[in-house]
Amino acid sequence: MQLKTSFLIALTISVIGLISWELYWRSQGYEPTLDDNKHLWAVERAKVDKLSSDDVILTGSSRVLFDIQLDEFEKVTGIRPIQLASAGSSPLPIFHDIVEHTNFAGTIIVGVTPPLFFSTTFPQAGPWQRPQKRVDHFHKRTYAHRLNHWLSVPLQQNLVMMSGHEEDADENIDLKGLLKRLKLPERTGKPQYPAFFEFGTIDIDRNMRMTEKTVSDTAFANIIKNAWKFIITSKGPAPDIEGTTKFFVTDAQKFMARGGNLILLRPPSSGMFKGGESQFFPREQLYDQLVKATGAKSYHYEDYDQLRDMICPEWSHLSGEDADTFTRVIAEALIKDNALTKSNL
Amino acid sequence: MLFNSLSFIVFLAIVLILYYSNIFNWTNRKRMLLVASYLFYAMWNPPLIILLWISTIVDYTAGKKLATVDNQKQRKFWLLLSLFVNLGFLAFFKYGDFLLENFVAIMNGLGIDFQARPMDIILPMGISFYTFQTMSYTIDMYKRKIEPARSFLDFALYVTFFPQLVAGPIVRAKELITQFYEEKKATTEQFLWGLFLLTVGLFQKIVLADTLLAGTSDDVFGTNTVLHSLDAWTGTLAFSGQIFFDFAGYSTCAIGIALMLGIILPDNFRYPYAAIGFSDLWKRWHISLSTWLRDYLYIPLGGNRHGITRMYAALVITMLLGGLWHGAAWTFVIWGALHGLYLVIERLLRNRIHFKINTWNGILLALLTYTCVNITWVFFRAREFAKAKSMLASMFGLNDGEKLLQSFDIIKVFTVITLLFICHWAMRNTSMKAVSKNTSPLTLGIIWAFLFVLICIAQGSSEQFIYFQF
Repeated sequence: MQLKTSFLIALTISVIGLISWELYWRSQGYEPTLDDNKHLWAVERAKVDKLSSDDVILTGSSRVLFDIQLDEFEKVTGIRPIQLASAGSSPLPIFHDIVEHTNFAGTIIVGVTPPLFFSTTFPQAGPWQRPQKRVDHFHKRTYAHRLNHWLSVPLQQNLVMMSGHEEDADENIDLKGLLKRLKLPERTGKPQYPAFFEFGTIDIDRNMRMTEKTVSDTAFANIIKNAWKFIITSKGPAPDIEGTTKFFVTDAQKFMARGGNLILLRPPSSGMFKGGESQFFPREQLYDQLVKATGAKSYHYEDYDQLRDMICPEWSHLSGEDADTFTRVIAEALIKDNALTKSNL
Repeated sequence: MLFNSLSFIVFLAIVLILYYSNIFNWTNRKRMLLVASYLFYAMWNPPLIILLWISTIVDYTAGKKLATVDNQKQRKFWLLLSLFVNLGFLAFFKYGDFLLENFVAIMNGLGIDFQARPMDIILPMGISFYTFQTMSYTIDMYKRKIEPARSFLDFALYVTFFPQLVAGPIVRAKELITQFYEEKKATTEQFLWGLFLLTVGLFQKIVLADTLLAGTSDDVFGTNTVLHSLDAWTGTLAFSGQIFFDFAGYSTCAIGIALMLGIILPDNFRYPYAAIGFSDLWKRWHISLSTWLRDYLYIPLGGNRHGITRMYAALVITMLLGGLWHGAAWTFVIWGALHGLYLVIERLLRNRIHFKINTWNGILLALLTYTCVNITWVFFRAREFAKAKSMLASMFGLNDGEKLLQSFDIIKVFTVITLLFICHWAMRNTSMKAVSKNTSPLTLGIIWAFLFVLICIAQGSSEQFIYFQF
């Protein structure tokens, strides 16, 4: 065997192959991005244990993730919040984890996206399972997990081919993602989830911002809208309003009893989402009742002239520019109301 | 730490640099390997290193006593102490909850209202592997088959050597400890062959097991719906491929990494899905475990020395315990029982039917063996009997179930499994090394690059190896 020759041939082909692969995907418009995965989330969650009562945690679904811009929030309040919101998730498991497994007694801003907030407490349901997996990962992560994440960050930030997503997304260019693109005739007779692409970029402390493409390319935004339409119109279990409210109120009371400052935040939606939410999750019967039951402070976008008519390019999240405005208005209101301090309790 | 992770790449690079730099003499290099091995394990759960230490100290002491003490009672005491500690660890950490569950079930079955909270004991990674490895040392010492380890360092490294610490191969003392006595350095040829094996192993794990097969297997075994026959077969075949590539991939990586350090580990897999019959299968699948079970369980139980009935009983008991070794659940026991039954049937038939095996009937018999193996995999993968029953009913056309998988998934699995079978059949009587020797350097280089590029493209999310849980 002439293994040295084989090795040199393999090395040469691999280097040429991987460089070509990287350049090809860049030529297709791909850019290196961080993945909003469980490891990135766990790094932020770990910071909670070191927070003081003057600090702020954000949690909720993707709307809080997109709509609260950390730089803007910090500019107005002087506090950089910890972003623990999770896309496609009920905020209940993460809030429960903070209440049960930390002594944090500062401010938690919980984003309320009604279809997710009031969805379920069933552990196997997607909106519960997704955030719970992150919580479980945080509690079980090993030193190897931490080191792997730490090593993967520069690769994700600099190489398109290393920028895969934990969640299945149609733009994934790892082998699994590429194989997923091969479509053969449908066999199961069940409705198939339409194409879905990531429409935001996240940075190292989980500040998510909508991409310019989503704002300016209406065809792309329509692909996302189509996915939302599929979710909204699909048959699913009825929301568990009573169960979710009861679960959250119990945790909220426990949190506030130890001196925690709870703020509920309702970010905007538009189009089909807004219509569906107004019809099936009316504010007076759900959100307002939740505020009353918890005794938490409340910030609802409809209560602010600048926010009331905001348009979400894909019906559910704000563009980067509008997210800055939304954050500024809410942060200023928080300061004005002295809502971030416990003296107001 | 997982082989298929970035941290391991960095870890291995540092170990190799330290190993081949001239700053250490051989003893210090072994110390460095030992510390690295503990670090390798601690990156998962540091406190559980204590179990490794206890096992190491107890077995080293027992081995030393067994070498010097002649009194049979005392020798038995030291052997039993070693067995008690190692099997005690296994019983507590691996089977604690299982034993408790069954105790509660028996109590309730007797009409005694008894409830117990699950102990939720954490399963130390690789405990089944290193306890079996260290027990083999004390048992061999008791039987005076081997010499005691020359130093505590050699023995500790034998127990903890990181390439095979958490998922084997389960290496006998005579095969490994003796290699630590003399200074070892891989030749360039060995080092590069080790690197090639590492690439092959990672390709098996990341590309074949995790990317191409795991999703389909998880979907099929994860659903509660009754499945269409084709879906049930696809899921089972996917699992058969996944577990092979996952475990053989780990062993190949382990052998490759050790070879890069100049240490030779034994083969653990020899193209098992081309096995003709079950005796042949167990000479090809997880060889280090099957030979362990043969030497330390089947033969002490009487083997084939006490008549046919006792031999069959020994065979079935060995396979039942082999099943239980894999996991604390009755489904694993049934998996082992089926293998025991297959072995008994095969021996009965072999005494009655005689014919010469040629290529064509060989392929048919290998396919028949593989089909029977797939039936056992259903019990291995299903977490509950109800699921296994439903799967088998679907596989044998007794259910008019739901179609779960898309056409592409089915084609993908059948393609990979067909290629796997062809490859195993073609390689049945040869080895990768022999084939590589007859391959041109250019072709081998292209294949190597292909495997490596696909590993990079597949990326993977550092999925844990299935056998770590055992």
